[in-house]
Amino acid sequence: MSSRRQFIVQGIGAFGGALAVDSIFARAARAASQVTKAGAVANRCLVVVNLQGGNDGLNTIVPHGDPAYYNVRPTINVAQSDVLAIDSSIGMNPKLASLKALYDRQRVAVLQGVHYPNYVLSHFRGTEIWQTAAPESYDTTGWAGRYLDKAGLPADNLFKGVAIGPLLPKMLVADKTDVPAIGDLRGFRFNGRADEQAQADRILMGDGDRYPFDSPYLQLVQEVERDARAASSKLPHLVAGYKPAVAYPKTPFAQGLNLVSAIINSDLGTKVFYVSIGSFDTHAAQRPRQDALLEQFGDGLKAFYDDLAAHNADDRVLTMTFSEFGRRVEENANRGTDHGTAAPMFVVGGGVKGGVYGDHPSLTDLDYGNLKWHTDFRSVYATVLEGWLDVPASMVLGDSFTSLNFI
Amino acid sequence: MIDQPQNDQFRPRGSVDASSALLPYRGPWSPRLAAHLLRRAGFGGSPAEIGAAASAGMNAAVDGLLDPRPDTLPSSPQGDLTYLPMAPPEQRRDAYLRAVSWWLDRMLQTPNPLIERMTYFWHNHFTSGVQGGITPAMMVVQNRLFRANALGNYAYLTHQVARDPAMLLYLNGNQNRSQHPNENFARELMELFSMGVGNYTEQDVRESARAFTGWIVPRDGASSSFVARFHDAGSKTFLGHTGAFAGDDVIDVIMGQPATAQFMARKFLRNFVYDDPEQELVDATAGRFADAKYDVAALLDTLLRSNVFYSDRAYRSIVKSPVDLVVGALRTIGVTTSTPRVIGAMNGMDQVLMRPPNVAGWPGGSQWLNQGTILARLNFLNQLVSFRAASPVTQMQAMPGMAGPLAWIAGVSQTDASAVAARVLDLTVQSDVTDEQRQSIVGFLTTDGVGNPVELNGENIDEKVRGAMSLAMALPAYQLE
Repeated sequence: MSSRRQFIVQGIGAFGGALAVDSIFARAARAASQVTKAGAVANRCLVVVNLQGGNDGLNTIVPHGDPAYYNVRPTINVAQSDVLAIDSSIGMNPKLASLKALYDRQRVAVLQGVHYPNYVLSHFRGTEIWQTAAPESYDTTGWAGRYLDKAGLPADNLFKGVAIGPLLPKMLVADKTDVPAIGDLRGFRFNGRADEQAQADRILMGDGDRYPFDSPYLQLVQEVERDARAASSKLPHLVAGYKPAVAYPKTPFAQGLNLVSAIINSDLGTKVFYVSIGSFDTHAAQRPRQDALLEQFGDGLKAFYDDLAAHNADDRVLTMTFSEFGRRVEENANRGTDHGTAAPMFVVGGGVKGGVYGDHPSLTDLDYGNLKWHTDFRSVYATVLEGWLDVPASMVLGDSFTSLNFI
Repeated sequence: MIDQPQNDQFRPRGSVDASSALLPYRGPWSPRLAAHLLRRAGFGGSPAEIGAAASAGMNAAVDGLLDPRPDTLPSSPQGDLTYLPMAPPEQRRDAYLRAVSWWLDRMLQTPNPLIERMTYFWHNHFTSGVQGGITPAMMVVQNRLFRANALGNYAYLTHQVARDPAMLLYLNGNQNRSQHPNENFARELMELFSMGVGNYTEQDVRESARAFTGWIVPRDGASSSFVARFHDAGSKTFLGHTGAFAGDDVIDVIMGQPATAQFMARKFLRNFVYDDPEQELVDATAGRFADAKYDVAALLDTLLRSNVFYSDRAYRSIVKSPVDLVVGALRTIGVTTSTPRVIGAMNGMDQVLMRPPNVAGWPGGSQWLNQGTILARLNFLNQLVSFRAASPVTQMQAMPGMAGPLAWIAGVSQTDASAVAARVLDLTVQSDVTDEQRQSIVGFLTTDGVGNPVELNGENIDEKVRGAMSLAMALPAYQLE
């Protein structure tokens, strides 16, 4: 088995002291970051947004100039007059007005026709493929987890990666890095009364040599338990100095981005965040459901970047979306769409070069009713890894993939 | 180290002696090893079951596990678990919860823990899951197939799985037609269900996929049927054999491959002994399995009595899956019926029964352990033992059969903190603790939240025992089986 992380976390016994030190450290780091040029590699971070459930690309970036679109989508199309036109051929769903405003300020790259070879139509396997970046094998680590393991980041940082949500997504599963998964600050804590908490840390400090048994996993369990205790007890104090500069919408997605902003603006050295929104699995009655989610997505993202801008941090935060698949070109009998293939990705903020990349896939030259992709998603990841996070992509992806030019 | 058998002990740290590894263990027998047996061959023993197995001796305890007793538990969940493709999420969720609750209740109440353990083993081997057109009703059909063949014959079960409705949908067997072969099932049959990669070619995948053509799942999903006109009756060449093969013929060829016994032996060792078995041990186990013509009961008879099974190296060498942790904890404290909250808690630990992450199943080992899942594990255990009907803060529902703190320490002086700590540690981790950890539990029982001394008495004993149980269940040893 892999031995994951080798370092000592300060125990609760030293909690008061640790807290004071952390606060001073955080302030010092914050001060340091203000004199560093915004966007310097060391200060950059990546936010990955999972449009979970399979977002329909055709009603997100709408090919309103193509009559074929209105033929295959007779009841669920976005009317040409409603589209937020990017040009005469494509435009955004009207519920993405907030995103379009960012796009108009050159802050959004739209990457069209992205997917991978030998596509699968399963949510679970599809999600896993995007999160492991391994379409042909069942990998145990995620692509961002491998980045955190190999990027030479400070080993004693508990918050190198942070997942918003109750479960660690596969994307952030690593061999040597324990990434906390945080649903919300109030829920990210160990249960127990004061007298239980007071002993819990001593309980976890057992000396491995003195156990009456040996186990290859003993050390790992202790380390993960200690990390979890340390991270959950410290985080609320570490982010206590942050005040949002905007009112975030009350949606779970926007609230998650609010926590991301709190962590970014508290300078905890976090390099990768994961946030999800969904479910986009619109087999029936697609328009109202997808429209509402796209609105939450765009409005949440706009609040996030407005807040970051107010904290002078928007240039150092790059956001990238993905979804396990796009949806079938032709609508089904229930005013919905079934599982499909290629879809657009959005890359927002940071050093992105705004604009549209790649052609919209043909609506008539199809693969069993599905769009033909032209850009492998691993090329997008490679671009982000090399152009934004400044590491060799092959270190994370195994193979090399052509970099794109959106950063 | 605790007292150890001096003879007949398999010592894997030295050179592996595979022949003695599988010989019957003749060393000392104790409640600690009885608990080890019941964790591996079931979902953990209740204190009474551990006591009985300890008194009975190793051979009698294993005999009892292998000799099924009459099972009067419901053979299916209550109500209709089917639904139509456009069923609302609430209906899907309700059907799912009833199916999984039924299974968890069987794990909690069964007179035959090894059968439920092997049902879970087969679920994580011949994986299928609720998704798309696969309803909980179909997963229950498959679950019953696994239970009926839990200790039966692996080759026979493989034939049955190939025509199981949930499997036909999960791996697209129902779309596998002579005109449009779908290779999904044929590939996974060889890669994950029998031989493992490297023992067949892409040509073998294509040829065997043709052999499996013709099976369909009618709309009701309750059964499958073979439609001759969808079947490719032509000649196929598979692993060097040529004939007008059907799927069953392909499985027969696979069962004749040495790689199949190897692959399955490794899987049994990983699940029952330790998760990185030496090649010599795999070879010896594969030989036993092949000699027994894939009789699962015979293989388990060997493994559960073996030196290697009771070796230091095997002891607590496997990370508990969420189902092991949760069902084991419930059994320890006397709970006999699950609730939806229990299933929700398992989701937080990243295991959704009847919905594995992919066809490879749950990988186990270190994959179960991250900060989120550890938090979910410890918080569930804390809520479980802290539960009081009157408590407004707990999210637990009433747990039928849960014995209270005074039952957990029955027979122990309620004012003797050392004795109470010893009982709690025995109940939870068979005293697999360091001295410091034991002192921490005693310290918890004899101090308040800010370190002032308190005495155990009738006023605080309930709270203190609950807290001590919660702390004992947070011990690293409790996450290992």
